[in-house]
Amino acid sequence: MKFFKGFAEEFKRNRALFAMAAPAFILVLVMQYFPMTGLVLAFKNYRYDMGVFGSPWNGLANFRYLFASGTGWLITRNTILYNLLNLITSQLLAVLIAIFITEINNMIFKKVTQSIILLPYFISWVVVGVFVYNLFNFETGMMNGVLKAMGMDPVNMYGIPGAWPVIICLFNAWKWTGYNSVIYIAAITGVDGEIYEAASIDGATIFQRILYITLPSIRPTLVTMILLQVGRILRGDFEMFYQIVGNNGQLFNATDVIDTYVFRSLITNPDIGMTAAATFYQSVLCFVIIMVVNAVVKRIDEDYALF
Amino acid sequence: MSMRKKILATLLAMTMAIGMLAGCGGGSSSGSSDAPASSDSGSADAGSTDGAADTSKEVNLVMYVISDRPAGQDVVDENLNKLLKEKLNCTLTINWIGWAEYANKYPLLFSSGEEFDIAYCATWLNFANLARRGAFKSLDELLPTYAPDNYALQSQTALQQATIDGHIYAVPTLLPTYITYGSIYRGDLAKEAGMTDTIDTWEEVEQFGDWIKANHPEMEVIDEYSSGPELSLVWERMAGNYEIDSGNRYIFYDPSEEEPKVFAIYDDPTIGDFYEMCYRFGEKGFWSKSALSDTDSSKTQNGKAAIRFHNVDTWSGYTVLHPEWDFQYGVMTSEIAHLPYTQDCMVISNTSKNPERAMMFWNLLTTDQEVYDALYYGVLGTTYELNEEGQFTILDTDLYSTSAMWAARTFDLNRNQAGVPESYDTMRAEWEEQIQDGVGIEKYTGFVLDTTNITTEIANCQNVRQQYGWPLELGYTDPVAGLEEYKQKLQEAGIEKVLEECQKQLDAYRTSLG
Amino acid sequence: MAKEKEIVAPRKIKLSTSSKVFYVICYTIVTLMTIVCLVPFILLVSGSFTAENWIRFHGYGLIPGEFSLEAYKIIFKTPERIIRAYGVSIMITLIGVAIGLLLTALTAYVISRKDFKYRNALSFFFYFTTLFNGGMVSTYIYYIQYLHLKDSYLALILPMVFNVFYLLIMRTFVNNIPVALIESAKLDGAGEWRIFFTIILPLLQSGLATIGLFLALGYWNDWYNAMLYMNTEAKYPLQYMLYSIQQQAQALARIASQAGISVQDLPSSSLKMAMAVVATGPIVILYPFVQKYFVAGITIGSVKG
Repeated sequence: MKFFKGFAEEFKRNRALFAMAAPAFILVLVMQYFPMTGLVLAFKNYRYDMGVFGSPWNGLANFRYLFASGTGWLITRNTILYNLLNLITSQLLAVLIAIFITEINNMIFKKVTQSIILLPYFISWVVVGVFVYNLFNFETGMMNGVLKAMGMDPVNMYGIPGAWPVIICLFNAWKWTGYNSVIYIAAITGVDGEIYEAASIDGATIFQRILYITLPSIRPTLVTMILLQVGRILRGDFEMFYQIVGNNGQLFNATDVIDTYVFRSLITNPDIGMTAAATFYQSVLCFVIIMVVNAVVKRIDEDYALF
Repeated sequence: MSMRKKILATLLAMTMAIGMLAGCGGGSSSGSSDAPASSDSGSADAGSTDGAADTSKEVNLVMYVISDRPAGQDVVDENLNKLLKEKLNCTLTINWIGWAEYANKYPLLFSSGEEFDIAYCATWLNFANLARRGAFKSLDELLPTYAPDNYALQSQTALQQATIDGHIYAVPTLLPTYITYGSIYRGDLAKEAGMTDTIDTWEEVEQFGDWIKANHPEMEVIDEYSSGPELSLVWERMAGNYEIDSGNRYIFYDPSEEEPKVFAIYDDPTIGDFYEMCYRFGEKGFWSKSALSDTDSSKTQNGKAAIRFHNVDTWSGYTVLHPEWDFQYGVMTSEIAHLPYTQDCMVISNTSKNPERAMMFWNLLTTDQEVYDALYYGVLGTTYELNEEGQFTILDTDLYSTSAMWAARTFDLNRNQAGVPESYDTMRAEWEEQIQDGVGIEKYTGFVLDTTNITTEIANCQNVRQQYGWPLELGYTDPVAGLEEYKQKLQEAGIEKVLEECQKQLDAYRTSLG
Repeated sequence: MAKEKEIVAPRKIKLSTSSKVFYVICYTIVTLMTIVCLVPFILLVSGSFTAENWIRFHGYGLIPGEFSLEAYKIIFKTPERIIRAYGVSIMITLIGVAIGLLLTALTAYVISRKDFKYRNALSFFFYFTTLFNGGMVSTYIYYIQYLHLKDSYLALILPMVFNVFYLLIMRTFVNNIPVALIESAKLDGAGEWRIFFTIILPLLQSGLATIGLFLALGYWNDWYNAMLYMNTEAKYPLQYMLYSIQQQAQALARIASQAGISVQDLPSSSLKMAMAVVATGPIVILYPFVQKYFVAGITIGSVKG
């Protein structure tokens, strides 16, 4: 009752804001929330003739394959570690590149570089996978070609699992740095130019300018980006892992994330319920993690929290 | 005022939307109760009319196949529909699920409630799983009643394969295919190497491989790529052991035994030798150390590799493409049997409104050369031509193609492609002679593993096979230690339970045969 | 209007040594990054013009080892369908970006208003969809059966028109706008809608440009929705058209062993590369025109005056 009263009051006061948010609200409700009923599939033995709701329940049976023989923990850990690593490298690089690019005076150089660093975004993981194979292929790969030309022994990268987290991380950073830097460049250019002028008249050095003006100006964006990434820390970029690693069993202990494991487990016997179970597991863990992180951020500075 | 209206409208929209959601639940469940009812009434009708085909009402049948629509398909459709209108008072709309989307879309087809009649299905599309989960109409009545000629041609084995949980859910193909893995290899190079005998033993493979390594170092000896090696399958089949299920190629049994015992691959006493051999092959560089990341599946076809282990149809295809390379085929399977007939099959959707006519169409298609040609090859003189032996050539492969409804092929109606070597037919004739119904492996081709109780374990074992079995098979890991690890991981994954279940089902199958 | 307000290091002051060091590092790193991003793209373009068997035996090079147009011949075998697919993609992208930007900006403005009681609840409502979704099966059934999106262009536009990530990034841009501006406008008697369209939107230009770019890239690259919902080839957007051409080429080999017929060798690697070139080309050419919004940026100060 109290809620409704409060709602009515708030509605009266801010009805324009309600109206502004209404289209997106309805869109998300209809397009995203209604199909969410499909979440029950994780707990059902799906039957085509009975549909989502009519299918019989089967408890937690769909989840069992994830945790049998201890793989659940390994792939969960891998997924989180990869995401953390990728989060740090790609965001750091993006910030760095954004700062550098905005500091560049030569307009042509600035424009050209800014365009070029966006190119990797367009190269699909399938093509990246082709390049990776051509780079590291033991017999005819470019890397071993160079090594042999220098009189060194060829290296079998596909036999060294430890190297792959680095390789994957590098390619991820390569693909996303340009894209992410667009956001930071936009954030920096949003800063009042007068502030920079004032700073330089006051005799601030370039480092001081970056430290006291540029960095603070992108901090809210950076925090938001990090939080957004943390919120999907249990998801893997399936295409990236699958195209780069392929079916190389030797590398799986170092490269398997939840999505690749699920894909492989179900490739011969696809199962809608088991797929839903994996997604549900990821969602719940993400949910818990982001709730905790968001609460912590909120305590520090409410403005930076996601919600 | 206006704002209040807007809000009202919004709220209304929301209630409607929620109502729709509720309707969604109701709709799908009522739909499910509808489906069996309509199929019942269908069979009741069948009983009353006693199969007397009523074609007075014109219907349009919708058929789904998996392939991309050829650019010139309109000509084929027009011609076929004219024929069908005449013979069966119906038309056929072919819907295509492209290769880009079939993995996602095919199962969805049966969930979405879309009304259609016929679909291509296959073991590799998980026929048994879909049938078990209620995707198809039962054909127990429909098949004998409305497709009697087709039914008469079906073997007991084929019908058994199409039967899931006691009901027939598919019309299997009438074109037998064979369990015949073997070596497809470059005949021209073998001649150069002085190997005139067919290469169909591991010693010969190794000898040929050594020669290739020495004389054509730019080539790979054995074609291996990212979809995984199948050497262990060849090894087992040469020894007379067969896999329990095409999805689980780490569990075998020997069908020649009185009461076959299933066993895991690591319990084959010869498997140690096999992995030793693989390791040796790997060390010799018969395949790339990076094979599992190589996505190129046409290395043999393009002259990059010398041997590929695959089936006889792949071989005949290669031969047509590169007659100058003189591709040879060495069978490396101890006993030949038919592949499951559900390898290609036809199913009727649960949502079909005209299952009777669909079956009548199918009956016609699989017994009438004219209709078959019109569907499968198109229009004579426009899309295809025939040579004196009745072999076909597609005239413009940019525009036309043979049909993707492979399940429609029958032994009598199907034509060979011009250029297929004679030995293809003689080989098949030989095999047909060897195969005895109900004897040896042929006895077990009707067996379909029901994985319902072991989905978790199967998923895990499947994973282990890829992670530990494949590298071992390609000699990437130490043959002794690797085998130990493979065994241990399979056991952790629950293979004992899988074995037990397989044994139980296999025994039950055997007793059911009497 | 703000050309002269670009953020450039004022040149009036002589560069100190530390600044010089900074610029050396700055230019070096940016140049390196540029090379790293450019080389694979050159390999890609060159690969698309290389004969398939050359790639099979020798790999990729910065210039084609054996020049071949085979891959492009396959893509442009029926040029009309590629041109039409370009048309579909352009239409989808334009409509999607326009609607998407408006929705995102409106909503971002609302959830950034500190005097709006439910802003956190609303943010959470939106954010929640990034954590949980109904999965492909139920989404597909629902879209087809209840929203009737099958083969409709709406199926290509609606699922991507509102993205929570973009919303929250946009919010950081809105947050940069001083609250005082809104307050003073209110005192002047301006309504919420007027404030939004005349004050907020113009100040959001760099945010709008960023999110607009992301939306456009998203729409341009999307093939998944087309794969699920589109049946008519004439309605395929470019990426899906290319993808299906490539899959067809690959599938022919599969059909061959399935049906015992032969197929011509199709260039799979160079085809992948050519696809990327065909899809990316227009964007790479267009990007410099959009870019001015990022390079110059419209600063708050300039609008204030």
